[in-house]
Amino acid sequence: MKRSITTRLVLMFALGALATLTLIGAALYGVLERELVRHQNDELNTHLQNMRYSMEHFGDLEHWARQQVKMDTLTPADASVRFWVLSDDPRFLYGKGLDEMERVNQGAAGRGMLTLPSSGRTYRTLSMRLAPFQERPAVRLIVGVDTAPFEHTLRTFLAALALLTLAAVALVMALGWWIARIGLRPLQRLSEQARALRPKTLSQRLHLERLPVELEDLTAAFNGALGRLEEAYRQLEGFNADVAHELRTPLANLIGGTQVALSRPRSAAEFQDTLQSNLEELERLRSIVNDMLFLARADQGEAATGLTAADVAHEVEMTIEFFEPLLDETGTSVAIQGELRAQATMNIALFRRALSNLLQNAIEHSAAGAQLAVTISRRAGATWIAVANPGEAIAAAHLPRLFDRFYRVDSARHDAGEVHGHGLGLAIVKAVAAMHGGATLATSEDGLTTIAFSIAERAPAAG
Amino acid sequence: MMACIEIAPDAMKLLIVEDEVKTAEYLHKGLAEQGCAVDVAHDGIEGRHLALTHDYDVIVLDAMLPGIDGFTLLRELRAVRQTPVIMLTARDSIEDRVRGLHEGADDYLVKPFSFLELLARLQALQRRGRTQEPTQIRIANLQIDLLARKAWRGGERIDLSAKEFALLAVLARRQGEILSKTAIAELVWDMNFDSNTNVVEVAIKRLRAKVDNAFTPKLLHTVRGMGYVLEARDDGGARTEPMS
Repeated sequence: MKRSITTRLVLMFALGALATLTLIGAALYGVLERELVRHQNDELNTHLQNMRYSMEHFGDLEHWARQQVKMDTLTPADASVRFWVLSDDPRFLYGKGLDEMERVNQGAAGRGMLTLPSSGRTYRTLSMRLAPFQERPAVRLIVGVDTAPFEHTLRTFLAALALLTLAAVALVMALGWWIARIGLRPLQRLSEQARALRPKTLSQRLHLERLPVELEDLTAAFNGALGRLEEAYRQLEGFNADVAHELRTPLANLIGGTQVALSRPRSAAEFQDTLQSNLEELERLRSIVNDMLFLARADQGEAATGLTAADVAHEVEMTIEFFEPLLDETGTSVAIQGELRAQATMNIALFRRALSNLLQNAIEHSAAGAQLAVTISRRAGATWIAVANPGEAIAAAHLPRLFDRFYRVDSARHDAGEVHGHGLGLAIVKAVAAMHGGATLATSEDGLTTIAFSIAERAPAAG
Repeated sequence: MMACIEIAPDAMKLLIVEDEVKTAEYLHKGLAEQGCAVDVAHDGIEGRHLALTHDYDVIVLDAMLPGIDGFTLLRELRAVRQTPVIMLTARDSIEDRVRGLHEGADDYLVKPFSFLELLARLQALQRRGRTQEPTQIRIANLQIDLLARKAWRGGERIDLSAKEFALLAVLARRQGEILSKTAIAELVWDMNFDSNTNVVEVAIKRLRAKVDNAFTPKLLHTVRGMGYVLEARDDGGARTEPMS
């Protein structure tokens, strides 16, 4: 079952009310009980003092007879107050069920509780020992007050208390539900706003003005996420358009070339030529698709596998060696500098791929006879490999976007010349860096363009 | 010409287990034209039956098949025979690769693969059994000493850099076999990726300038759209054209 904030709030209100009311009830019950006991004790005291006075001052049988009448009179019909006089002299005995009294444990003199086995009634008692006087021997005077009314009052009070508490909790729950609904209304408004968001209205944001402060953080964070989503969505849209554009040219060549070839009878050599031309276009398509699949895997967060500890400078040398024919051809030279002893944990094929993309890029963007430099450095827990080439300054706005797929600073210039890549080279560099827990950086100053990528010193574990 | 039967005197016998009809069709055609005897199975059941009842030199096995999948087929085959197997896996996933090699595949290719790549792998599997690499290769009037790392053309010593010699040796060892730029980059420079650069073109151009330009017959040919091949041709190379 899904958790509802309203239900939780109502339950918590109810628990809070129950706890509070129970505490108050317990306290009231305690006070009432104490007061009732005090009241009974006062009553016992009054009766006892009353009897004691006449018994202490008159010890003859005549007064004892009158005393008995007095106790008879004072004993109500419902026997809620009882008197007993116990003594060794049978003449000076008083009270019903005296033989039972003998058996009842009298306990210490003074206050006590007494349950009469014959009637089952419980009495709160007060007793006193009187010294012999005239004809009267030593006696024990006991006054008892029936506790039943007292118990009854307490029980009634407790029942009322429980009933009131339950009623109050129910009331609190109802009120709490109403309060929670009102309190959560801003959330409802927020979700209505969120529900209205559509891909077409990507720039729309949630309004902060009418929201309580508690929701402001959440809404701001949500708006931030919307912003990032919008950017990613726009990039994706642009990317799709770029892909379509990039695939359209070879496809058009394929279709057009094949149509022309088939439109009239041709020699085998002519067909062969068409097929060869088609194959070139198909290879171009395959290369784009393969690179895009590679980028897609990197996007999904795939980390580089097959990691080995490698000598960075050695790998740089090997990659430069691959470019030697091209470097010789253009009279370009490459210097390796920086920390030549650096070691890094890497997938060697991926590293060479990234570096060769950078070298290709540098050679393409510098004049013949240029001096390129590959600099190895270590900072902030990463090994950086930077390829610098002298060339036209690139506007700062373009620099971070160089690593975007199909991004070209000046599309006209590239499309005119011979292009060996298809605008994914630096995106692949970025992907390789990401697969090694690294980053990329592009700078352009003093006529020197530097593009660098890094490999985290502790590359993510293969998996 | 590329030769399927480079070493074996009789035709190499292949089984292709592939459910994609077009793929199976062009593989069949291409390999048969290379002089191989090719059987095709379109599902796992038929493939298993053929693989278990015939003697093939190599089996080309798709991983995803109707009936029973390629891995199961491979396991059942390995229980009985050691026929070399090249697995075709649909995705470039490490798991498939590891699984394939673990269960006894001799090689694997990631789909989509090029026909040249498959040919190269088949030839590599055949070469595996070869006793020893030759130390001397002669193609027309080109002579290569692989131990001394020297080359002559018509008796005249050709001065080559180390990498130029390595490139020539790679082409000469696989004479008649078309090598793609990617394959050349891998074999000569150990660059295992599509490099999107014209390095190999430039290197071939420079090698050709030293080995071929001043001599006849021409030996280093460009096969447009596919790659390069080193061979002596009688027809003057109608399907090739020199690099510009």
